[in-house]
Amino acid sequence: MRISGKALLTAGAAAAGAVTATRIAAARRSSTQAAGRRHVITVNRAFDEAGTGRLPAPLAELGEAVEIRRQPAPGGRGTEISARARSGKVSDGDIRRALREARSELEVGYVLLPGGPTTEPTPLNKPLREATAHGREGGLL
Amino acid sequence: MKALQWQGVNKLAVGDVPDPQLRNPGDIIVKVRRTVTCGSDLHLLGGYIPFMEKGDVLGHEFLGEVVEVGPEVRRHRVGDRVVVSSFISCGKCWFCEQELYSLCDNGNTNPAITETLWGQAPGGCFGYSHAMGGNPGSHAEYIRVPFADVGAFPVPGEVSDERALFASDAAATGWMGADLGGVKPGDVVAVWGAGGVGQMAARAAMLLGAERVIVIDRLDNRLQQVEKYIGAETLNFERTDVALELRERSGGRGPDVCIEAVGMEAAGKGPQYAYDQLKQQLRLQSDRPVAVREAVHACRKGGSVFVLGVYAGFVDKFPLGALMNKGVTMRGAQMHGQRYIPMLLDRMARGELVTEHLATHVMPLAEAPEGYRIFKEKEDNCVRAVFVP
Repeated sequence: MRISGKALLTAGAAAAGAVTATRIAAARRSSTQAAGRRHVITVNRAFDEAGTGRLPAPLAELGEAVEIRRQPAPGGRGTEISARARSGKVSDGDIRRALREARSELEVGYVLLPGGPTTEPTPLNKPLREATAHGREGGLL
Repeated sequence: MKALQWQGVNKLAVGDVPDPQLRNPGDIIVKVRRTVTCGSDLHLLGGYIPFMEKGDVLGHEFLGEVVEVGPEVRRHRVGDRVVVSSFISCGKCWFCEQELYSLCDNGNTNPAITETLWGQAPGGCFGYSHAMGGNPGSHAEYIRVPFADVGAFPVPGEVSDERALFASDAAATGWMGADLGGVKPGDVVAVWGAGGVGQMAARAAMLLGAERVIVIDRLDNRLQQVEKYIGAETLNFERTDVALELRERSGGRGPDVCIEAVGMEAAGKGPQYAYDQLKQQLRLQSDRPVAVREAVHACRKGGSVFVLGVYAGFVDKFPLGALMNKGVTMRGAQMHGQRYIPMLLDRMARGELVTEHLATHVMPLAEAPEGYRIFKEKEDNCVRAVFVP
């Protein structure tokens, strides 16, 4: 590939990554952007096991700042757990992370930790590092 | 320890990184004995999947020896020789219970990236960018394997490292394409791509009873491997009209099952290929779907197309009209290795599935950057470069 092609490729890759990372960061920061919207996961555990009793630690730690509901998933597919912020004290990102970690604790018994690190910061990967530092807080959940 | 690190677009180097540690109770540490390049790594290397950081360790297809086990590991002991599925799956979520292991809910520590891009997040993968969890890869002396009881498998004594290595990804991926593509006895199956995955898909189709299997590529050395080691028919798309040839070889119907094992950097010919190249370079589309278009168009009415090649985002000029009006079923997936690896190892032990010929270049890890260059350029008839740390 010619130099101009390489430059284009590098710039294009960096731009695409930055756009996605920026969207993720915005989603993480926003709090109750759609007021009253519930964040929901389905846990692959029966309602008798996951739908009653104590909440998993990641959700319990949010305390009164969130309203949590649990109900059986249709078709015997486990238990739906939903959470909604009662106030602006908890961000959507906090709720997403807590729900995802709660699902891992209920299904696996622990939350998968990342490996490494083997990488180093550069100006190009700054948005990506910011996004992955909060990897369970963004997304559409 | 030494590891092959991504340093930037089309830049690789072997460097020193921290030794991996047990971080969760289901982890094992594996001393890597063999680790191999994959065509999908080239998408990372070339910057087509823009979620790499300087220093990331590449590699997702490997085999090694267990040197350390976490307190909750039940199926492995220090000293075991294991082959590891390239996807990291918990084995406990709904998707894992359906044997859709690459869709695991708990195997990706960065679900935000892929959920934003694709609506839902698949599981994590070794050495395959921060979109897939940012897990250090296998082109290293040691690697941490999470959920080891689910994703690592003991290698039977009679299966060599050289053969078992490809159960980790290429053979499992290929088998999945034939299996979930719905290959049945008597079928005519066409496979786009004669690399490692395409060859394994062709062999899987034959073992599942397909009567005629035709593999399409432009590289004669790979097509010769298909004829010699796999036993399938071949087509060189630079010398023939694939659509017409497939029609002729399938009694005018078109192949029952079409398996695409090419991916987002597909080669092609003519103005359509030039169009795709230009749009991809300008980032107006992320992937070049040359082979997918051809597969949908060639497929028989009511047939199926399975996409094994890796795609990241959006494509242009997709033949949706052909798909809909012909009643074609299209499906794709990252590989559900845990579903197939034990069976594949048994078939390898019985000699039904041979893979050693794929390793055209074997070299020390220190030479991995050169190995990737040869692999990328397809120099010296390279099909796969295997590294020995």
